[in-house]
Amino acid sequence: MITYILRRTATAVIVVIGVMLAIFAALHLVYPSPARAVLGLKATPQAVAAFNHTHGYDRPLWHQFLTYINQTVHLNFGESLKQNQSVGQLFKENAGRSALLSGVALVIAVLIAVPLGIAQAVKRNSIFDYTATGVSFFLYSWPIFFVCLVLIAVFSLKLNWLPFEASQATSVFGVVRDAKSMILPVSALVIVSVAAFSRYMRSSALDNLAQDYIKVARAKGLSERSVLFRHLTRNSSLPIITLVGLSLPDLLAGNLIVESVFNYQGLGLLFFTALGNEDYPILLAYTLVGAILVVIGNLVADIALTLADPRIRLI
Amino acid sequence: MTPLVFRRSRFSFVALAAAGAILLAACGSSGSSGGGGKQAPNGAGSTSTTEGQYGTLPAESSNVITGGTVTYDIENGSQPQYIMPVTPGADTSVYNAEFQYLLYRPLYWTPQGNRPIINQALSLAKLPVYSNGNKTLTIHMNSQYKWSDGKPVTAQDVEFFIDILRAAVKENNANFGNYTPGAFPDNVVSMKTPDPATLVLNLDRAYNPNWYTDTQLVVIQPMPSQDWNIASTGGPHLDPSNAANAKKIYDFLNSEAKKVGTYASNPLWKVVDGPFKLTSFNPTTDANTMVPNPTYGGPVKPKFAELKAVYFTSSTAEFNALRAGKINVGGVPSADIPQVPLLRRTGYNVYGYPDLGFSYIVFNFKDKTNHWNNIISQLYVRQALAHLEDQQAIIKGVYHGAAAEAYGPVPAIPATNYVPANASTDPYPYSISDATNLLKSHGWNVVPNGTTTCQNPGTGPNQCGAGIPKGQNLNFTVYYTNDPPVAGQETIALQGAAKQIGVNITPVAKTFNFIIQNYDDPSAPQNNNKWQVENFGGFNEDIYPTTDEIFNIKGSFNEGGYTDPKADQLINASKFSSNPDALKAEASYITENLPAIFTPNEDRISAWKGITGPPDSFASLSQFGFTPEYWQLTK
Repeated sequence: MITYILRRTATAVIVVIGVMLAIFAALHLVYPSPARAVLGLKATPQAVAAFNHTHGYDRPLWHQFLTYINQTVHLNFGESLKQNQSVGQLFKENAGRSALLSGVALVIAVLIAVPLGIAQAVKRNSIFDYTATGVSFFLYSWPIFFVCLVLIAVFSLKLNWLPFEASQATSVFGVVRDAKSMILPVSALVIVSVAAFSRYMRSSALDNLAQDYIKVARAKGLSERSVLFRHLTRNSSLPIITLVGLSLPDLLAGNLIVESVFNYQGLGLLFFTALGNEDYPILLAYTLVGAILVVIGNLVADIALTLADPRIRLI
Repeated sequence: MTPLVFRRSRFSFVALAAAGAILLAACGSSGSSGGGGKQAPNGAGSTSTTEGQYGTLPAESSNVITGGTVTYDIENGSQPQYIMPVTPGADTSVYNAEFQYLLYRPLYWTPQGNRPIINQALSLAKLPVYSNGNKTLTIHMNSQYKWSDGKPVTAQDVEFFIDILRAAVKENNANFGNYTPGAFPDNVVSMKTPDPATLVLNLDRAYNPNWYTDTQLVVIQPMPSQDWNIASTGGPHLDPSNAANAKKIYDFLNSEAKKVGTYASNPLWKVVDGPFKLTSFNPTTDANTMVPNPTYGGPVKPKFAELKAVYFTSSTAEFNALRAGKINVGGVPSADIPQVPLLRRTGYNVYGYPDLGFSYIVFNFKDKTNHWNNIISQLYVRQALAHLEDQQAIIKGVYHGAAAEAYGPVPAIPATNYVPANASTDPYPYSISDATNLLKSHGWNVVPNGTTTCQNPGTGPNQCGAGIPKGQNLNFTVYYTNDPPVAGQETIALQGAAKQIGVNITPVAKTFNFIIQNYDDPSAPQNNNKWQVENFGGFNEDIYPTTDEIFNIKGSFNEGGYTDPKADQLINASKFSSNPDALKAEASYITENLPAIFTPNEDRISAWKGITGPPDSFASLSQFGFTPEYWQLTK
C-alpha cells in the first residue's frame, strides 16, 4: 500500500507540473499581459508598459514560468493584481467557507442517496420506485441556478421562512452558528447531488441484488435488514465512492453558482472574478490547487475502494 | 470627477440575472414595467418625466426619524479596494471613487442632480480664476471645510496631493489611474500658496479653461498634509515639496493603503474631510460601515447614525435583497427592469437616467482585407450603415425603455453645457430606403436579402470610391462582447436591417477582454487586418466630454484608427483654444462624420426605500454622485 501511495504521489507531481505548464501557457498565449484588463480600457501605453515591467510580463515566457515555479515551490502564490491582498490570504479567507458549504452538502447528499437508491432497487418497479425515479429525473434536469432561484422565491420571498442569502459570517465557526441561513444553499446542492447519486446507487444495487451472494445470504436465513446493510450496501457503494472521490475538488471549486446566487463569498466566486479581471496569480494558484485536489480525490477513492471491497488490490 | 472607465455593466452575472428575472416574473405577478423613453412611468412621483428618464423622483418627505442605519449595495467586481486618493490604475473605478469621496472630498464635486456639471455647493474650492492668457489659474478654498482632527482644509493640502501625485507617477505611470503623460500634474510648471486659502498654478501653456477645470482639476482630492507627510508610522514630518521626500511619503502611504484589513483601524485613514468616518471594513468582501464625521464642513451633515455598504456576490443576489426589502438603496440591473413593478409594490422608488458617456459600434479603418479600409473610409457608406440603426426599437426592445437616444460622442442626455445642435435630432435616422438610396447613388447594385455589390467603381461623385473594385461586396464581421448581452442584441438588430439592403453581417461573440486586448489598433497593431467592426460598449466621459485620445489620429484609445485631420484640429481646439464653444464644434463634427455608429445610452437605475432626501440626491446616483449625507430614514 505504501509503495503504491508513493508511486501515485510521484505520478501526481508530474501531473500537477503538467497542469501548471498547460495553464500557464494557455493564459499567456491568449493574453500575453493582463495589463489592459487590470488597468482598464483607458490605460495609457506608458501605464501598460510600466505595469508589465513591474509584474514581469515583459520578460520571456520561459523566464516567467521559471519564476512562477520557483515561487510555487516556496508556497508563494504572489499578490492579486486587483484585490490588494496576497493570493494566500485570499484563499485563507475563502477556502474554509467553500469547503464547509460543499462538504456538508456532499455528506447529506450521500446519506440520502445511498439508502434511497437501495430502497428503490429493493422495491423496484413499485410506485415508490417510479415516484423516486420521476422526481430524481425531474430535479436532475434542473440547472442548479434554477433550483437556487426556486428555493429563494418559495422559501424566502413567498413564505418568508428562511433567509434569502447564506450566512455573511466571515469565519467558518460563524457560518456554522448561522446554520439557518445555510439551509437553502446546502439544499440546492443536495437536491442536484442526490438526484445523480441515487441513480448510480439504484443501478449498482440492482446489479448486486441479482448476485449469488445475496441469494446465499437470504437462503441461509439472514434477516432482510442484515442482507441489505451488511452485504448489499457495502458492495453497491463502490460507484458512489468513486463519485465522491471525484467530487473532492468541488469542495473548493464547485459552487460558483450557489455562491453567486446566495451571496456567499467563496473560492468559486473568487476564481470567476479573477477570470474576468485576468488576475493571473489567482488563476494560476486556483488551477494548481484544483489539480492537486483532483489527484488527491482519485487517490482517496482508490484507497477507499480497497477498504470497501478487499478483492480490489492496489498494485 | 468621474474617473475614466470603460462603459460597461457593473454586473458580472447579467446572464444569470436574466434567467432570474424570468423566474421571478413567473413567481410574482405581472405588470407593465413603466417608465423609460417618453412614456409616463407609474409609481408615486411628483416630478414630470423627461426623455431618457426611467421612473420618477419623489418629493422629499418630512416624515423622518433621526438616527438609524442606511444600507446600500456594493457588488462583486465593483467593490472599493483602495482608500488613498492617489489611486493606482488597477483600483481606479467609479465605485472606488464613491467610497473614497465619502471620506475624502474631491476639490470639485460633480454632478449636480442628474447633470454632469460641477456642483459648487459641495466643492472644497470656488471655481478657478484663469489669467495670464489662460496659463495661470488661481484657486480659492472654501473656508468651512475641516479635517476630522479640526485642522482646516487648505491650499497646502491641495499642493500636498499634487506633490504626492507627481512622486507616484514618476515612480510608475500606472500608479494613478487618471494619469496621462503630459497632462496633469505634468502640465503644472510651478505652484505657490500665497495664503492658506489660495493656490496659484502656473501651466506649461495656455489651455481651454473648461477643459482644464473639468478634466484636470476634477481629479484633485486634497489630502491632510500635516498628518500624512510622514514616511513611517510615528516618523518625522517631511517637506513634500522635496521630490525625494514626496517619494518616501508616497511609498509609505501606498504600502499602508494596500493593507486592506487595516482600513478601519489605521490612524492615517481616520483623518478625513468627508461627511463620514470608516468604522469597519471587511477585507474579504469590502463590505464596510461608516458613521457621521462631526467636523464635516459641507452644507448638509448626516442625520442618521450609520452607513452600511452591504456586499453582494452577484446582481441576482443583490436583486433578491431588494425583493426582500433588506437594503435601502441598490442598483437595478437592466435585465431586472421587467421586475421593477414588484419593487414598487414593496415600497421602493425607482429612478434611472443615462450617465455621461457614449456607446458605439466601432469601425476599423485600418483593415485592408477585402478592401474594407477603402470601403469604410467612404462617408456615404458609414452614413448608410448609420441609417440601419433603429435606436427607438433598440431602446424599447433591448433596454426595456430605460435608455436615451444618442447620435454622437456628446449626447443630448444627460444635458451638459457642451451639447451640439445635432445631438437632439438624429442626423441619420433609421431608414432602409435612405440607406439604399445612398448606396445606389454611389454606384452599388443593392440586392435586398442578397449581396449588394459595387457596379460603378471610380472616384466620381456617383461612383463607389477610391480603391473599391467592381463586384466588391459590403459584407463584414462584427465582433461583439458577450457580456453584457445588449451588445449582442444590438448587433443582431443591425444584422437584420443590413440584410434588407444586401449587406451581410456576421456577428461573432467574444469576451470583452479578448476584444479590447486583440482588436484595438493602437495597442494591437498586429491584428489591424483581422477585424472590421466591433461592439464592446463605450466610454464614460469627464464632464468636459472631448474625444481627445479617442478619435484623434494618435489617440491612445482610438480603437479603430479613425483618421481625420479636421477632427484632430477641432479636438485640439477643445483642449487648447479659449473658445468656450470649441467642444460643441468638435462634437458636432464627430456626430456628422461617424467614426462609429453611436448607439443609445443606457439608464443607470437605482431603487430606494425607507429613506428620503432632496430629489437631486437620488437623481445624482445616475451620474455616480453618491451623497447619502442628504438622506434620512423615514418613519
